[in-house]
Amino acid sequence: MSAVIVTLHLIALALYGLTTALALAPFVGRRAAPRALAIAFPCAGAAAHVIAVSQLTLVGLGPALSMLALCIVLLQLASERLVRGSAVSFFAAPLATGLLGLAILSGLAPGSDAAPGRNAWFVLHVVLSVLGVSLMALAFIAAALYLLQFRELKARRFGQIFQLFPPLERLDQLNRFALVAGFPALTLGVLLALGYGARFSGGLHVAKAQIVWGIFTWVVLACAVWLRVVRQWAGRRAAFASIAGFSAVLLVYVALKLAQPGVERFL
Amino acid sequence: MTGPLGAGIKVVGVNHRTAPLDVRERFAHGAHEVPAALARIMAAGASGGVLLSTCNRTEFYLLAEDEPALDAVWSLLGERLPAPPAASGGAREYGYVARDRDAVRHLYRVSAGLDSMILGESQIQGQVREAWEASRAQAGPVLHRLFQTALHVGSRVRTETGLGMGTASAASAGVAVAGKIFGDLAGRSALILGAGDMAELAATCLAAEGVQITLVANRTQERARAIAERLGGRAVSLEEAWAHFATADIVLCSTAAPHAVVTWERVGPVIAARRGRPLCILDLAVPRDVEPAVGQLENVFLYDVDDLQTVAAQATARRRDEIPAAERIVDEETDLFWAWYGGLGVVPAIKEFRARVDALRVTELERALRQLEHLSPEDRARVEQFSQALLNKFLHQPTVALREAAEAGHGYGLLEALRRLFGMEPPA
Repeated sequence: MSAVIVTLHLIALALYGLTTALALAPFVGRRAAPRALAIAFPCAGAAAHVIAVSQLTLVGLGPALSMLALCIVLLQLASERLVRGSAVSFFAAPLATGLLGLAILSGLAPGSDAAPGRNAWFVLHVVLSVLGVSLMALAFIAAALYLLQFRELKARRFGQIFQLFPPLERLDQLNRFALVAGFPALTLGVLLALGYGARFSGGLHVAKAQIVWGIFTWVVLACAVWLRVVRQWAGRRAAFASIAGFSAVLLVYVALKLAQPGVERFL
Repeated sequence: MTGPLGAGIKVVGVNHRTAPLDVRERFAHGAHEVPAALARIMAAGASGGVLLSTCNRTEFYLLAEDEPALDAVWSLLGERLPAPPAASGGAREYGYVARDRDAVRHLYRVSAGLDSMILGESQIQGQVREAWEASRAQAGPVLHRLFQTALHVGSRVRTETGLGMGTASAASAGVAVAGKIFGDLAGRSALILGAGDMAELAATCLAAEGVQITLVANRTQERARAIAERLGGRAVSLEEAWAHFATADIVLCSTAAPHAVVTWERVGPVIAARRGRPLCILDLAVPRDVEPAVGQLENVFLYDVDDLQTVAAQATARRRDEIPAAERIVDEETDLFWAWYGGLGVVPAIKEFRARVDALRVTELERALRQLEHLSPEDRARVEQFSQALLNKFLHQPTVALREAAEAGHGYGLLEALRRLFGMEPPA
């Protein structure tokens, strides 16, 4: 593994760590950091991270986690820019820091079952899958922020959450966008994997359990999107639905990892 | 009419700290009354004037000598009071006077929101601008510049400090809370129950955010209609109001009813038809207009006056921390204005004055020398030296006096006198 890649990852990790500290400072009685600083740190971290990821082979747990962390940071910055949703960093910054830490710990070298080629199918599969999971994570974060702000507003508490979190409607819109954009991206990513397997690897080399639980996760996510788009769910009910969807992704992933330790594929 | 020699900047008036509301109401001047009021003060000797009249203050900013102009202000205000007892001090009893540098500093603090009843409120800056514009014809160059810089001070304080952050009144706190639910309030609809002062203020705050207002009044339909018309909304009766609970985003209650008028029985079924859309209810009435059970409904956010005052108090506490920074800006800008006012064009004026007198000397010297052609060149030079020395002796004392007055901040009056005495043009 190149020392440059590790160094760049460590720089990104340090900057994401600082972003986390700045984001959470108001909750320990410190003054909120200036907006410019709260954007500059993740921007600088993402810049180092992009250079590092561009030199990685996108196969294996470490690289996949690293790319997921990068996507989350980029979505955090986009939320900040587009909807002034700076509160997204309360969740996104620690999540990205944790994922990147895990990526470094699990090793950034390609796994033993690394794919032989890096053709367009494969790159698109990885990019869309990671983007889809990141958007699901963003939907989860927006939903969690929504529920916290809802609780504070309903209980007439006007503390840090009231002050720092975005308005309910803005969080609801962010949640809807992330869910509606994330689901097709993830679906397409999975379909590309199936196509890649059939075309370049002579069939699918995955366990039945992975297929069953993968379909289960997809159905849960599809239900969340259906409720949101077709049944016009909004607000608290929609927030619970998207939290359920992302929780399903996480639980299935952890369950599969526990059932098949040592498998270095991301999903 | 008293000349400008010795005139200085004065502020004379009353505010929320020195006069009760009923007195302030009497002293308040509508925009149409300003020119006549100022004309009267100018006739008493002021060479410039601006009248700032808001619900919390009526202040005359004048460029004038003390006695006649200030007496005229007290007399003008005193006429608006009911017949006073013989021993009463009239309007003077409620007011204050600040002079020169203190007057400048006072206006800067007013414009920055440091002197407002609600610390850091931003409405005052617009009112300062309106006062300046309404008095523009009578302000004169010094007050013109004073008000121009006062607006600059207000902007600086609001951008460089946190004095204007958050919300500091119950009505604006209501807007802030609604903003935490809906984000951008433009295009939202609000139903206002009541047509009193508080309802009007809150409706104005909401309308300023782009909210469509529907006003409801049970007793004072005429007033409700007038307010609604002013805010571009409409007025409906109480019987029509309940149906609006299904469509309005914000309901603001501020009636004088002795019991709750918004009850679960009345609005519960209507709110159920909202299909989960949030409804923000702001109850500013005491006693409360909204039954607490209404707040238990799903997606209904109910806040009473105590809740909103909590939000306002938090903002005020944060604003207080910003006072030192705001005062620093006010002091800094006062120094700048005072330096300008004190030395107002003194150097170019002295130059012009000397050049003008020297031109006279040269003309007269040439005429004299034409009549003294028998003088030798040495003697002619001596005569010229004499004329130069005499001029320098004459000009020394006025020049020194002008410079000293400028350094002490009183240069403007002397300069005006100099311009008038020697027919010099005022600076462009």
